[in-house]
Amino acid sequence: MNMHAQPQRTLAETALIDAFGERLSLLPGDGAVMTKRDDAIEAIKHGLPTRRIESWHYTDLRRLLTKVPAFEAGAVGKALAPVLEGSAVLPVLNGVSNAKLPEIEGVTVQRLSEKLTDGSIAPGLDRYGDDDAIGALNTAFVADGYFVDIADGTELEKPIELQNLQAGGQSHVRLLTRVGGGAKAIVVERQTGEGDEALVSSVSQLVVGDGAEVTWLIVQEQPDTATHLAQFKAHIGKDAKLTLFVMNAGGKLVRQEVVVRTTGEGADFKLRGINLLAGDTHTDTTMVLDHAVPHTTSTEVMRNVVTGKARGVFQGRINVHQYAQKTNAKMACNTLLLSDDGEFSTKPELEIFADDVVCGHGATVTEIDHNHLFYLMARGIDEKSARGLLVKAFVAEVIEELDDEALVEALEVRLDGWFSTHG
Amino acid sequence: MPAVQETIDRVRKIDVDQYKYGFQTEIEMDKAPKGLSEDIIRFISSKKDEPDWMLEWRLEAYRRWVTLEEPTWARVHYPKINFQDIHYYAAPKSTPGPKSLSEVDPELLKVYEKLGIPLKEQEILAGVQKTVTADEEAEIGDNVYKSGRVAVDAVFDSVSVVTTFKEELAKAGVIFCSISEAIREHPELVKKYLGSVVPTSDNFYATMNSAVFTDGSFVFVPKGVRCPMELSTYFRINEKNTGQFERTLIIAEEGAYVSYLEGCTAPQRDENQLHAAVVELIALDDAEIKYSTVQNWYPGDAEGKGGIYNFVTKRGDCRGDRSKISWTQVETGSAITWKYPSCILRGDDSSGEFYSIAVSNGYQQVDSGTKMIHLGKNTSSRIISKGIAAGFSQNTYRGQVSAHRKAANARNFTNCDSLLIGDQCGAHTVPYMEAKNATAKFEHEATTSKISEDQKFYVMQRGIPEEEAIALIVNGFVKDVIQQLPMEFAVEAQKLIGISLEGSVG
Repeated sequence: MNMHAQPQRTLAETALIDAFGERLSLLPGDGAVMTKRDDAIEAIKHGLPTRRIESWHYTDLRRLLTKVPAFEAGAVGKALAPVLEGSAVLPVLNGVSNAKLPEIEGVTVQRLSEKLTDGSIAPGLDRYGDDDAIGALNTAFVADGYFVDIADGTELEKPIELQNLQAGGQSHVRLLTRVGGGAKAIVVERQTGEGDEALVSSVSQLVVGDGAEVTWLIVQEQPDTATHLAQFKAHIGKDAKLTLFVMNAGGKLVRQEVVVRTTGEGADFKLRGINLLAGDTHTDTTMVLDHAVPHTTSTEVMRNVVTGKARGVFQGRINVHQYAQKTNAKMACNTLLLSDDGEFSTKPELEIFADDVVCGHGATVTEIDHNHLFYLMARGIDEKSARGLLVKAFVAEVIEELDDEALVEALEVRLDGWFSTHG
Repeated sequence: MPAVQETIDRVRKIDVDQYKYGFQTEIEMDKAPKGLSEDIIRFISSKKDEPDWMLEWRLEAYRRWVTLEEPTWARVHYPKINFQDIHYYAAPKSTPGPKSLSEVDPELLKVYEKLGIPLKEQEILAGVQKTVTADEEAEIGDNVYKSGRVAVDAVFDSVSVVTTFKEELAKAGVIFCSISEAIREHPELVKKYLGSVVPTSDNFYATMNSAVFTDGSFVFVPKGVRCPMELSTYFRINEKNTGQFERTLIIAEEGAYVSYLEGCTAPQRDENQLHAAVVELIALDDAEIKYSTVQNWYPGDAEGKGGIYNFVTKRGDCRGDRSKISWTQVETGSAITWKYPSCILRGDDSSGEFYSIAVSNGYQQVDSGTKMIHLGKNTSSRIISKGIAAGFSQNTYRGQVSAHRKAANARNFTNCDSLLIGDQCGAHTVPYMEAKNATAKFEHEATTSKISEDQKFYVMQRGIPEEEAIALIVNGFVKDVIQQLPMEFAVEAQKLIGISLEGSVG
């Protein structure tokens, strides 16, 4: 990596570095945590990544992040009704986690500020590479969030919903979750907000224990004034399963990174994602998946809809390590580009060091199939409705694949919500 | 895969023994001192009797090059190159521009004979029928060009030693000569087109090439002419510590057609040698250029010592409407390959094609692919890439397809498949797709796998030994690309792939 020393700091870079000096005394953490924070701000001092940094090729953060709002947020909102009915809600309001923690059987919940103060999570604050700008930003400023531990063998009856709500300003949140061996859980990570310009960084770290099964939903519906820089990092143990569903339907400048590693044989990872892009926005989904041990499987399906002047990016890299024989990995990224002012860039990468593997990827960019449109219109459906139906069917396909009915219904509601305002 | 040790042993055996072009020839050479400076560039330019404008062009490129940094984004690793430790000019002494073949140093002719390159056009032209002995027959069998008539430009280190069939081509109006000759004889054409596809400021190696290029081929096919035969250039690096920096410029005017072949070899040496070429193709309205390469530079020995660093910039410009440029490459040689033959689809309804087979074995590193840049309306492109990695090699496909806002109905299909043989090698795929137009239609698919046991079993069950079975499957794997090669090259390519992979099967 070559984070070039930048000739002159941008306004945003200066604002971040100054803010760090001002906030330092307010940030929780023992010596080890504070050292990590210092390292992280050093990385930012070298400059935010530009398009010359390969992993940021399509999202030139240095150029795109023009303004950094102050920390002061608007009125503190209230926790929202959960996406899935009956979920236990853990809200983070304007970067601060709730004082009152819910009691869930088999689950230990702690405020992240406590874990920072006692330094027990310091090792987890490492960046995953020189180009990990979101990790650096978050490590430097993270003040709160949650630590959720689901005990071995616990099968959660109700989902857990982690809400990160921001009313303008700046916040940096971390959500750590450990799912014990043989446990089962559904977790919703809700990223939304309202009001003025906001800069949000949010890092989720998940460890899926041996034989555990986790379904994790990221529902990102930021207002179009927000910059949302998020990271989801997971390790999947032996015979464990992780299904990650990412829905991006908001935000002005969004980067959602997904960094996953299979650490035990028999691990299985599924990524299903939909990007609904409108307006003059920029949304980047970047995945790095490491098949680090033999006999692991993964499938990734992304469906993107681009309207207006939106720019979309999907980068997906599958690394198959040298001894990760019998890996089976498949990735698909399909895009409907519906406007001449829109843009979509895809970079699906395979890096393979083992020979006994089956890996493949496919990517398409196209507009609506005229034959399909004709078929519907021949049945008396007007063009606008016919288009709407086809676009919705295109994305709904990935949702319907989820085997939990409540999940499918809840996501279809979100989908309808987006189409009613943008369709 | 089991039997790793066995694989390693066999690979080692092969790499040392099987590069049959590894000989070197003792020919008295005229060399520039080592290093790169303005003086060296003046020296090269004066050696070539170049006009002042050419020297200025070179110097400008050099001044720019000094300010550039070597690119590091490719997936290749090598010790830093000392650009001052290379001879930038080396020419066989006894060739002050031979008028005919009889004036060419016989040693030199022997080299090309050994390589199987037919320079003796007279015999073919005169229709001389030789009585062929069985031994000769076998030898001719190796000479893949025997079937058709191919005009050849032979480039030895820094200079073009001979160009065949010139007169016959001239009758058709086709200019085929060395680029040095073109600079002297056809300055108006060179001035107009040189650097118009790959500008001197393009990238580190292209800029360096612009400053120091020594020879290469020049082809001009005038309006409406279909070039009567295949054109071919054969590159040979012989001298120690030299780099080869050739420059090829091919222009097809309105409605013209030309098919051009390129082949290359080098002696076995322990040091790495540098090859940094630039190829520019220009197709005007309704013109078609087909460019085929069989690249077989010395790949280094079993320990990865020596071999050619092949840093090449190749680009075609479909400047006219309905024009077409097609790249076909078979890459089996070089220690490091860094090469992305590209098409700029500027004219409406123009089309670009890229067919590639990249075979890597031993410690070879390949980072190759293409760029299809759709600018005009209704442009289409097709990419078929087959990578085969064996031994300890790393084989990367890197390609970009982009549609400009105004490129209505741009269409691309990309297919890149990789085959891994052995568990010490790597195959990587890095495609970039950028659509800025709603009517663009891009499709990309890629797969990586090893030869399945089922396939192998099926073939072996019919009594075919394992090694042959694998060769058969591999040949099936690359068939789509081989079919695109001119017939003479297809035979050579198939053999080369066989040789490159032999023994890599554990």
